[in-house]
Amino acid sequence: MPRVSAPARRASTSQLAPLAARRIAPAPLLPQALLERLLAVAMERGGDFAEVYVERTHSTSVVLEESRIKSAQTGLIQGVGVRVISGGKVGYAFSDDWDEPALLRAASTAAMIAQGTGAERAFPVSRIAVPSHYRVPTPLADVEVSLKASLLTRADGAARAFDSRVTQVNGAYVDQTRRIAVANTEGRYTEDTQDLCRMSIQVVAQGKKNERRTGSYGGGGRVPFTHWATFPPEDVGREAARQAVATLGAVDCAAGPQTVVLAPGWSGILLHEAVGHGLEADFIRKGTSLFAGKLGQKVASELVTVIDDGTVSSGRGSINIDDEGTPGERKVLIENGVLKGYLYDSLNAKLMGQRSTGSGRRESFKHLPIPRMTNTFLAPGNHHPEDILKEVKRGLYCATFGGGQVDISNGNFVFEVSEAYQIEDGKLGRPVKNAILIGVGPEALKNVSRVGCDPQPDPGMGVCGKNGQSMPVGVGLPTVRIDNVTVGGTQV
Amino acid sequence: MDYQKLAKRIVQRATKKGARQAEAFIEVSRQSTVRVREGQIEDLTQSTAKGVGLRVVTKDRLGFAFTSDFEPSGIDLLVDQALKLAEAAAPNKLNGLPGARDLGRFGDTGALYDEAVANLPGDWKVKAALEMEKAGRAEDSRVSTFNAVGAGDFVSEVYVASSEGMAGGYSGTYVFLYAMPVAAEGGQLQKGYWLDYKRFLGDLESPESIGREATRRAVRMLGARRVKTQQVPVLFDPLVTASFVSGVAKAASGNAVHQQASMLAALKGKRLASEHITLVDNGLLPRGLATAPFDGEGVPTRRTPIIDRGVMSSFLYDAFTARKAKARPTGNAKRGYNALPSIGTTNLYLEAGTASPEELIKEVDRGFYVTSLLGHGANPVTGELSAGANGLWIENGELTHAVQEVTVAGNVLKMLQDLDGVGNDLQFRGGTVGAPTVRFRQLTLSGG
Repeated sequence: MPRVSAPARRASTSQLAPLAARRIAPAPLLPQALLERLLAVAMERGGDFAEVYVERTHSTSVVLEESRIKSAQTGLIQGVGVRVISGGKVGYAFSDDWDEPALLRAASTAAMIAQGTGAERAFPVSRIAVPSHYRVPTPLADVEVSLKASLLTRADGAARAFDSRVTQVNGAYVDQTRRIAVANTEGRYTEDTQDLCRMSIQVVAQGKKNERRTGSYGGGGRVPFTHWATFPPEDVGREAARQAVATLGAVDCAAGPQTVVLAPGWSGILLHEAVGHGLEADFIRKGTSLFAGKLGQKVASELVTVIDDGTVSSGRGSINIDDEGTPGERKVLIENGVLKGYLYDSLNAKLMGQRSTGSGRRESFKHLPIPRMTNTFLAPGNHHPEDILKEVKRGLYCATFGGGQVDISNGNFVFEVSEAYQIEDGKLGRPVKNAILIGVGPEALKNVSRVGCDPQPDPGMGVCGKNGQSMPVGVGLPTVRIDNVTVGGTQV
Repeated sequence: MDYQKLAKRIVQRATKKGARQAEAFIEVSRQSTVRVREGQIEDLTQSTAKGVGLRVVTKDRLGFAFTSDFEPSGIDLLVDQALKLAEAAAPNKLNGLPGARDLGRFGDTGALYDEAVANLPGDWKVKAALEMEKAGRAEDSRVSTFNAVGAGDFVSEVYVASSEGMAGGYSGTYVFLYAMPVAAEGGQLQKGYWLDYKRFLGDLESPESIGREATRRAVRMLGARRVKTQQVPVLFDPLVTASFVSGVAKAASGNAVHQQASMLAALKGKRLASEHITLVDNGLLPRGLATAPFDGEGVPTRRTPIIDRGVMSSFLYDAFTARKAKARPTGNAKRGYNALPSIGTTNLYLEAGTASPEELIKEVDRGFYVTSLLGHGANPVTGELSAGANGLWIENGELTHAVQEVTVAGNVLKMLQDLDGVGNDLQFRGGTVGAPTVRFRQLTLSGG
């Protein structure tokens, strides 16, 4: 389900942001008294639980085309969502009008889900402090747009200088400074400021006889703008250009089962699709996932340990709190092949008699929170990446990846390989075009036969789509060998 | 609030503060959705939303900002930010709003707004969703659960004003139903998905028929298995064809063509497919979901054949790209208030043929009928397509067993040439892209 604009092979080594002075805490998004008033109105018909979610997001985006900055824009989206839970039912209303009467209207609309008669109770909240996994001393919203634009110009220059066959370079830089506050009838009030940036570069290279190949690369995270000093845009441009040029002259991909070796990093999208979505508690509770009812069972090779971690320092999917105010966590989902846990938001946790794992995320105040991944990765093994490759007589080396998608019910997942090479006698051969891998989650993971000692996070550009909501996520994987994978291609 | 006046006021304010040109785009909407589960409401969401995007040009420099804060202070900040961004931007002679010549007269859209949808009683959606769930269960006992069953309505208003003389607005309604049952048998789970999405309540299929069809689509996938790797004739059902043709239309974007980053770049006037193939973008399609008098920058919408009886006919342009490519805008600037216009389709459809889907299947000895795809579709630059596929196997002209965990792969240009059958079942199923069943002479299928 993730839709990803810039795949990657190498990852940033600069994910650790400098621990500079914390920025001065801004004024609360909404006065505490108003939050408490909204909670009281939300509960006036006798709901079991109510929550007020406040969001103010400043964003910037810059687009480069044909070596020119085509546009730069900034914007503000702000709103308040009120959720009321009554039994298994949920009422939700939101307003982007911050007028007190408009907010009170939203609260009483959400309250309608409960059937009781009006009775006012008080719901005091107190602020809970949470640890920070990202420190961004200067909000990205405060950085001059011209500095953001110059990143793209630099990347464009480097991509075009890389090879004369590079004919087009398109680039985009986007960032946001997202402030959220969550108050609920359990008395908890939490706030967070989530800065996030990403740069992505797409390159077209032209070979003989009008052959065109594409390459794309990018990165970012919950990092200060100084990130770009250690993750230089020139590297981004060159890597995108390298991919496009390297695949010129690629041959058609052979169709059918093969042994594949996945390069480390962004290949972690395999886990995201093959198991991650299938472990989200909404699918589990409804019985629509093939992983439902399989806790404690062996669902993967014993070389496979899968972790979802919202606390990775500066990670793209990291969260101090989720969008229900629960602190981010590190969760072991699969340990040595055995299914250990699911990803819970508070609603599904409650209905299933569990506790939230800090996985309740929402795209914005316009959406209900749902269980989502944060940063999902495979724990390293002890095989050397060179040895893994050397042992393969014939197969496919998958170097860079596009996006992927999964059908939760039958477990079928695909992931797109944008740069691949034939493996012959343990060595890389010709580049191969238009490859895609397909499998069924648990079966594919049972066929994992080597796990490298070279764990690598992706450089910070994943976007995951679910139920129409997009969320930033991180993934990671060491070099991995999987046997007997169906590879889609055109050559029979 | 009079949003048309507000749009004009924002434009005036921007020009007074120094913008040579200014354009305000306002969107105001309200929506309500409901999902049910096991005979009960699962969730109910209601909302109102609004926002304004402001584009300014000063000395060939472009600035754009947006906000959902309509307070006077919010609007002041919007104007200041757009102007500030323009000052910081690099000049480009191509920058500018559509001029009087591009704006022109709006075509006839027919009605876009249905009072019945705008005033839909709250419990109509709840009842409809419950009925869908019930009908879906009644259709086949192997339905074990539903991923979601829902209904919703949406009312929106759009206003555009510019210093170049654009002033216009329109309102529209939408109503939709969807069901996603999961069928179980022998430890296998298979999902189905069916929906309807219309501007007018009277055009909407009954909840019962949506629920039943969703279930039929789920249960017919039970027992799905892989097939061997091979090359066979392949059919796409209308939903799958719709995603295929939107890939083709992406490559018809005037911007990609101008950048030589499109598989269609050098093919204008060339034959791409048999004369039975006509792919049209039509912003004036009666009752179409994307039908509107003007596009995101005030340019009148129109009917544009992309592939006309097999020949690559027209590309799609917004005002900026048209200027760049020395062409005329085609009314294909798409946007929300929070983004600058970019090229997109309106109502896009592959015109229907004459054969029924059954006839197209009957002519196939052995082949694959694809009912859903997994993946991101074709690469519009190279034309390569490789995707996961689910569907039904064809033997001796008849559908036999379900198939999963296979891929289909090919090149879009080659596939267009290979397109040897178009069904008579054109439908806009849940979106702005319409298509019938189609058949390709041969595609590569990768499986066991």
